[in-house]
Amino acid sequence: MENNSALVVKGVDVLYGDVQALWDVSLEVKKGTIVALVGANGAGKSTLLKTISGINRASKGEILFSGKSVSHLRPQEVVDIGISHVPEGRRLFANLTVLENLKLGAYPPRARQVFAESLEKAFALFPVLKSRQNQKAGSLSGGEQQMLAIARAMMSQPTVLMLDEPSLGLSPILVRTMFDLVASLNKQGVTMLLVEQNVRQALKIADHAYVLKNGRIVMSGLGEDLLADPEVQKAYVGERWRKK
Amino acid sequence: MLQMLSFSLVIQLLINGVLFGAIYGIAAIGLSLIFGTMRIIFLAHGTLIILFAYMCYWLFTLLGIDPYLSLIIVIVIAALLGVAIYRGLFTEAAAAEDKNISLLIAIGIMFFLENLMTVWWTGNPRSITTTYTSAVVRLGGIGIPFTRFTGFIMAFLAAGVVVVFLKKTLIGTAVRAASEDIISATLMGINPHRVNGVAFALGIGLAGIAGVDMATIYPFDPFFGFVFVLKSMISLAIGGIGSVTGALLGGIILGLIESLSSFFVPGGWTDAICYAVFLIVLMWRPEGLLVRSVKKA
Repeated sequence: MENNSALVVKGVDVLYGDVQALWDVSLEVKKGTIVALVGANGAGKSTLLKTISGINRASKGEILFSGKSVSHLRPQEVVDIGISHVPEGRRLFANLTVLENLKLGAYPPRARQVFAESLEKAFALFPVLKSRQNQKAGSLSGGEQQMLAIARAMMSQPTVLMLDEPSLGLSPILVRTMFDLVASLNKQGVTMLLVEQNVRQALKIADHAYVLKNGRIVMSGLGEDLLADPEVQKAYVGERWRKK
Repeated sequence: MLQMLSFSLVIQLLINGVLFGAIYGIAAIGLSLIFGTMRIIFLAHGTLIILFAYMCYWLFTLLGIDPYLSLIIVIVIAALLGVAIYRGLFTEAAAAEDKNISLLIAIGIMFFLENLMTVWWTGNPRSITTTYTSAVVRLGGIGIPFTRFTGFIMAFLAAGVVVVFLKKTLIGTAVRAASEDIISATLMGINPHRVNGVAFALGIGLAGIAGVDMATIYPFDPFFGFVFVLKSMISLAIGGIGSVTGALLGGIILGLIESLSSFFVPGGWTDAICYAVFLIVLMWRPEGLLVRSVKKA
């Protein structure tokens, strides 16, 4: 693979027991870009992220990070090498304080050394977290929790940040803030792999996008091209629009 | 006169209940810690407490080491044994989704130790008699058995140390995080085997303290451990799993229930009442009586 790809997924199959969730999935995330992974509920988007972060195992295929195979690594090792995963539903530690959540975000030894700087950065980006640092994470509002989840993931100083449905459950105004945030983190040099059901917004900010359907990649291309594609419009964007 | 007598008697019963309940409490803290990261009730916990009571007994009878001095040795051995048990027996099972495997291992450990202890020390009760075994501390007309009093103090100190450890150290925070969500914890870079090992070291270390307390207060036999773990479970049901202070208070409440019912209700009913409390609490407030639950994020 070329030197400029941060993350490469090559022909990955994933099984849940007897049920196959992913079929021969390949994608590439170039350094410094935003890649969106869109598709309907149950298409396998979260499964792919979990496979990259080592929670699920690929039964076939390979995952490369900066050219090296990482398919065999366990989750704690994956975050250590620089891939951070904000899972679906955020999965904060609700009974721990905001500050404790952030401390754990910087758990890998290399991140621990720069904890003070990372914390300052996180608080600069999300001032509300600073004022609530001693509050329990479970007491934050939905939007604040999402911010904390992203801030926590950034504490490990990742090269690649994987976000699973960051806009889920947020009000329309917060959804926009969230996507602005994703774009601004990307400008600071963080490579992004973004899973979204808010297809329109995701494709708008994505450099490149993949459409996942029933566990297979059925379409890929530039974000704006996919957004203009009549089929994508009909299947994902339009439907969503009609509902509103 | 009679009223005065019964008043001081009730006070005495309350004190006895609180003092012995604290030992249930530290056993319950251990159970709660292991449950937190492993998601199983470690049924061998009580049997290990008895093993440590025997250890204390041997150190005393064979080497003449004072029980309170042997506490240091027993705690260290207990914590190491905790790690060894995890590394040796649970590493594979802990990773499996099916928690029944881990539970079966715990049951296996319990039966194995019960039988091992019966071979070594026979099924006859053993006890430690020192110069201070029957000593009594007098506080304003109320007599407090010295060994129970020290047992209580140790339980409180141990609980305090555990609370500080869990709150103030990074690995302690990681243990609390893993107790909430082990998958999310691994995504932070936390090694599940590390936190499980720490939970075992702390939990079994506390069992060491409970064992020494036990040995100095009560006669014990190899099969008392199972009853002990049941009592710890009741304490947890009362106090709520996942909170150190809750577990300690749960143990103390159970101690009070036991102490009072053993006096006011005809013999044999005490245990039945304890288990009834267990069921009623689980029915009525399965998250524990004392827990103020925080919504999941």
